[in-house]
Amino acid sequence: MEGRTGDDATLVDRLRRGDPRAFEDLVIAYQHRVFGVALRMLNNRAEAEELAQEVFLRVHRAIGEFRGEAKLSTWLYAIASRLCLNRLTSGERRMTRQGEETLTRLASSEVGPAEEMERSEQETALHRAIAELGEERRIVVVLRDLEGLSYEEIADALEIELGTVRSRLHRARMDLREKLERFLP
Amino acid sequence: MTCHDAREQFSARVDDALATEERAAVDAHLATCADCRRELQRFRDTVALMRAVAPVRAPAGFVDRVLEAARPAPWPRRLLRSLFLPWPVKLPMEAAAIVLVAVGVVLVYRGAPEIQHSALVDSSAPAMRQAAENTAPQAPAPTPSRETDAMRAMRDARELAKAKDQAPAFARAQEAKEAPEPQVGAAPAEKMDKNVAAAPPPATPQRPEALSRDAEPQTTPERRGKKDLKDLQVARKLEAPPAVDTREREMTSQYLRSESAPAPGARADAPVAPRAAPSVAGSSFVPPDVSGRLTVSDRDAVLRGVAELVARLGAVETRRVDTPDLQILELTVPRESYAEFVRELARLGRWQPSKEPPELPAQVRVVLQIAR
Repeated sequence: MEGRTGDDATLVDRLRRGDPRAFEDLVIAYQHRVFGVALRMLNNRAEAEELAQEVFLRVHRAIGEFRGEAKLSTWLYAIASRLCLNRLTSGERRMTRQGEETLTRLASSEVGPAEEMERSEQETALHRAIAELGEERRIVVVLRDLEGLSYEEIADALEIELGTVRSRLHRARMDLREKLERFLP
Repeated sequence: MTCHDAREQFSARVDDALATEERAAVDAHLATCADCRRELQRFRDTVALMRAVAPVRAPAGFVDRVLEAARPAPWPRRLLRSLFLPWPVKLPMEAAAIVLVAVGVVLVYRGAPEIQHSALVDSSAPAMRQAAENTAPQAPAPTPSRETDAMRAMRDARELAKAKDQAPAFARAQEAKEAPEPQVGAAPAEKMDKNVAAAPPPATPQRPEALSRDAEPQTTPERRGKKDLKDLQVARKLEAPPAVDTREREMTSQYLRSESAPAPGARADAPVAPRAAPSVAGSSFVPPDVSGRLTVSDRDAVLRGVAELVARLGAVETRRVDTPDLQILELTVPRESYAEFVRELARLGRWQPSKEPPELPAQVRVVLQIAR
């Protein structure tokens, strides 16, 4: 995530030229990251897929407005974050937040039933702790510790000050440290 | 720096996001505080736990679904979607809108006779004024506007002819009565018949106010009867200062002549929309010499009384329009019997003449509007 890659610059150019394959390449390149943010924030796979699809459709419609001042990935994270926060705060969610069962499935979303049984209590507790964070702190932790964005990129994506990023991240980690105390060495 | 101050910087310290001076201050505190060093380590372990979470992968087929959603639909589908989707909402709304508009149009049209007559006022008034100003016995060739009006009247005349076909005996008798009428020229009528080969000859011309019927595509018999009365009243308001009586006759003559010579290009063979024949038996166009309203309590009894009166005085009933609440009788009464006719009318009901010239012709044409 560090620096604007040459691939991203080429991809943006192809998108602007209307290359029909460019959009497909964009979705392939960023599908997991966008879906990951949506899933961590919404805690529901179907809703996360719907939101991730909306992110890419907005990029498809608005690629002409992308000025290229930020990285393509930052732009995508910005759209995804905004849509997630809007959905969480607007009350338009059609699926209510799930309980422990969903959090457990989230922790084991990509493993089979056998592996799911072996999934550690620690990981379940970790995902639950993330899910229980407030939305503004959770998005900062997700972007920083799960997606690897820099403070500056988070500030750009969320359109907040750097100091706010640092403060929210610190509070979120403090919450997580307390909740994960028993798993720490 | 206190422990609290130092621990507030732990998150940035872990991310190596502190400015040089800030970092130096925190490190200086850590060098002297074992608790904060231990706390910082636990903070690092927490962050390490977070970063060790396995990345999430989008579900299989996600890319295809996004590409499909991004692909623009063919324009017919987009149009249909915009018109009908979501159909549970849009279809009922559109159907309701169509029904409301249709009902509204019908109600407004039926409830506002002035709308029906507005076309008459706009289109026929100038032509009628022009005709009234022309006092020559033989009017010049009709103006284009009168020709158009005449063709409209022909259409109504043909409709009346159909009505007459439904009452052939009465109609034949009526034609025999109308034969000596000087206003209806036989030769122009024949000429018109040649011009209007495809259409039946108009049995009777219509009064100018009948022009407004063009704005009434479907008319029930009772509606038609009311409309005839309204037409009479409207035309009277427009054209009927008593001094214009002779002009009205001339206008009628012009009207008839123009009718017999349709304008080039006029659609003489225009199809006539079939409609229910009104209860008009026989017809004659000449405006009445006398008209008025006879208000009665028992209409049937009065109709019988009028029939007896007509038979006793040697009068003739030339036309009748029946509606549920109004009957219009057109009678021809000999002048010498007219005074007695009026006296008898006053006995039958409340007679209110609206038109009664001081000098009467030998055969007085009277229009009675009999109402409760």
